Amino acid sequence: MFRKKTHKIIGLRSALLSIVLFLSFILLSNQFGAYNQSQLANIATLLIAVLSITLLTGASGQISLGQGAIMAVGGYSAALLVTRLGLSMWLSFVLAIFVSALFGLFLGLAAARLSGPYLAGTTLVMALAIPSIAVRFEGFFSGDVGLSVDYGVPPIWLTNIFGEISIEEWSLYVVLPFTAVVFFTTINLLNSRAGRTWRAVRDNEVAASLAGINLSRTKIIVFVCASGLAGLAGALYGFRGLVAPSVYPTDLSLTLLTAAVIGGLRSIGGAIFGTFAIVFLPDLIEKVSKNFTIPESVSNYLPSLAVGLLLLLTVIANPRGVAGALESLRNSIHSRHQK
Amino acid sequence: MNSFLTALFSGTAQGAIYALVSLGLVLVWRGAGVVNFAQMGQAMFTTYIASQMIQSDNSYWVAFVVALICGALLGAIVDFGIMRPLTSRKNSKHLTSQSMRTTIPVIASLGILGVLKSLAGIFWAGEERGFPTPVPANAIQIGSTNLAITGFDLFVVTIVFAALVLTSIFFTKTGMGLAMRASALNPEVTRLSGIKVSSVRTLGWAISGTASSLAGLLVTPKTNLSPNTLDLLLIVGFTAAVVGGLSSLAGSVLGGFILGYVIAFVNVYSAPENVFMAILIFLLLALFIRPQGILGSKEVRRV
Amino acid sequence: MLSVTNLVTEIASVKALNGVSFQAKAGLITTVIGANGAGKSTLLRTISGLERATSGSIKWFDEELTRKSVESIVRSGIAQVPEGHAVISQLSVAENIELGGLFRRRIARGDLAIATNEIYELFPILFERRKEQAGSLSGGERQMLAISRALVSRPKLLLLDEPSLGLAPLISAQIINIVNELCAATGLTVLLVEQNANTALAVADHGILLALGEVVADMPAREMAADSSLRAAYLGY
Repeated sequence: MFRKKTHKIIGLRSALLSIVLFLSFILLSNQFGAYNQSQLANIATLLIAVLSITLLTGASGQISLGQGAIMAVGGYSAALLVTRLGLSMWLSFVLAIFVSALFGLFLGLAAARLSGPYLAGTTLVMALAIPSIAVRFEGFFSGDVGLSVDYGVPPIWLTNIFGEISIEEWSLYVVLPFTAVVFFTTINLLNSRAGRTWRAVRDNEVAASLAGINLSRTKIIVFVCASGLAGLAGALYGFRGLVAPSVYPTDLSLTLLTAAVIGGLRSIGGAIFGTFAIVFLPDLIEKVSKNFTIPESVSNYLPSLAVGLLLLLTVIANPRGVAGALESLRNSIHSRHQK
Repeated sequence: MNSFLTALFSGTAQGAIYALVSLGLVLVWRGAGVVNFAQMGQAMFTTYIASQMIQSDNSYWVAFVVALICGALLGAIVDFGIMRPLTSRKNSKHLTSQSMRTTIPVIASLGILGVLKSLAGIFWAGEERGFPTPVPANAIQIGSTNLAITGFDLFVVTIVFAALVLTSIFFTKTGMGLAMRASALNPEVTRLSGIKVSSVRTLGWAISGTASSLAGLLVTPKTNLSPNTLDLLLIVGFTAAVVGGLSSLAGSVLGGFILGYVIAFVNVYSAPENVFMAILIFLLLALFIRPQGILGSKEVRRV
Repeated sequence: MLSVTNLVTEIASVKALNGVSFQAKAGLITTVIGANGAGKSTLLRTISGLERATSGSIKWFDEELTRKSVESIVRSGIAQVPEGHAVISQLSVAENIELGGLFRRRIARGDLAIATNEIYELFPILFERRKEQAGSLSGGERQMLAISRALVSRPKLLLLDEPSLGLAPLISAQIINIVNELCAATGLTVLLVEQNANTALAVADHGILLALGEVVADMPAREMAADSSLRAAYLGY
């Protein structure tokens, strides 16, 4: 009886938080112009992928450099379903989750026996091998040109209620429900028995297996879940306009990982912060660098330099990320109070 | 028959370069317990330096030597500036989980890679350049038949062979080489023998940096130089190290040559687009059939 | 002379050493005995620098050791043979011995060769097996090798951590006797940590009894060996 109560509380809390998230995004978007609205949509989309890393690496300790490639899998699945089979966008998004989860199953089967650098290297190789399939079977995947897809137009009943809805606003309305549901699911997963199992595997594999946890099965499950999420994000990402190899570059995986690390690998709040940082950083840098005369060749690379440096700084000086730093701050204030 | 010879010769030349990359990876893995994903980023950076020097009218060999020295310096800086602080006593408090302890250095090396690529973009506009060879890259002729091997291929194999011999002598016959082997095998006993293991480790990073610089200089004439061209080399080097045995220096060299032949034959007898898949399949096979690699030793898990 | 004053070492918030003070006089064998968990190994590890002292002082003649690194302590002439035949199994016997003298190479190459020869005379079996991998040696041989690695650097102070651990009594007695002779011949100072109180007190000049991280007895070895009440209280027999 006690357990049911905690379940209900977590479920209720996470549902409330998801609604709060949903509403804050909408509120923010009303303050923004078109460009920033589309940035918000990007954040909402990439947040799903970053959350997959929070689950995979933060909660379960499995490092994967292939999340970007899984995003591509999801993107291509959804795009192909829409363009070749004429399915509806919404249905193809959902189906993309399953296709990516299937890929995650294969990843998990390979990863189950690996850890640390072996796992990182293998996922990196996979990350490069998967896009090469698109090049190999050019006819089917439309090679470098890619597939043009988009979110379509808002349904009439919606415009009747809210009036004119711009493309950017519509993209946000398409993505946000998925983000909210993923948010809800992630919170619950992390607080569930599965989440505790994953953390046990992360902290000490030997102890976990001695405690009766099936390491292989756990790792496979984590990869399946994380891949499903990444695939969904990839589908949503691609439907901004184009699904092509250039949309999912090889450093996408690193970008996602960086967002998760900077914000805090183990915290959902950290994922939110990290995604905001990664998406808005290039704009911020552009604003600052406008005050100085910098040749274009330099300013092109400033964002990636800043991202790389931030990652290094975080890993050396503040491994738990911004969320971790805030938590330590809170703890030290608490303990000072008690004294 | 001709395609077989082509595959064989190109496989040898490519394999030599992969052996260098793999050797560099294994050096750092054994000495510091880190798989340095930034390794080819370092190589790319120092090759750009060499390219810049050649464009400023310096001779190839001067640029060559400078690149190697920069490689050593860069490797030492990475260890001193980033890897050491990362694993220092203060930071170990933050890393309470076992998987994080192995993951964080990997993430750090990826960060270094990103920074190096961006810096290359900033300093040299990320432009793709050719890179010269000191030896003409024409096919060698015997009588009137063209052999499937060029002068440059021979040059590559010779240099790599010389480098491997030097490295082997260093490790087996010199005191510093003994210190490095000992530090990798058992840091505590080595420290108790009065040897500063942290300095030896930095030297390992420097040597690895030199090896990767050399690989960069030898491969860019064929692949051209841009911030991203050496990524493939890292993948192959990693696979070669895994196949040969991450815990064995000789294994890394063996793995490099094996992969050179595999890729050459896939290129000639199958299609170049299949290379990535071939590498992946080879890696997975190696990991499942013999995870410690051909010459590696099984890690004993103490419970 | 080694002077330890009020040494406190905390490991995982537990005071493994709680204010240990004693002296080990130069040229003598001082043995530290006590039950399991008394802190003997922690004491040696703190002196050699493998563990950090929380507070207190360790002085080797006038040199303060507590903040020094392991390597610099070794270079000051203090060699430790940690417990469990600490040799590098994948290296050969000769390489293990060479490793011990590496840091002296630049200043004393000639003397190193002499020292190595002396060690081979002390342990002829090591000379016979000098090209074999250390991992293929028996327990006793490995312990000899570990001690050789320490001795080749001609230390002034030798820290021996449970040399008899896991060895047949005959072999461990052999080893300890060799150490005894060495001490007498060269004026080497030895700090010997031992589980086996009888053997230790038989060769030592001075005895220190540790219990729960504190010194409970500090007296000439012969007196400690004869004191049966001490033995009954702290060593259980």
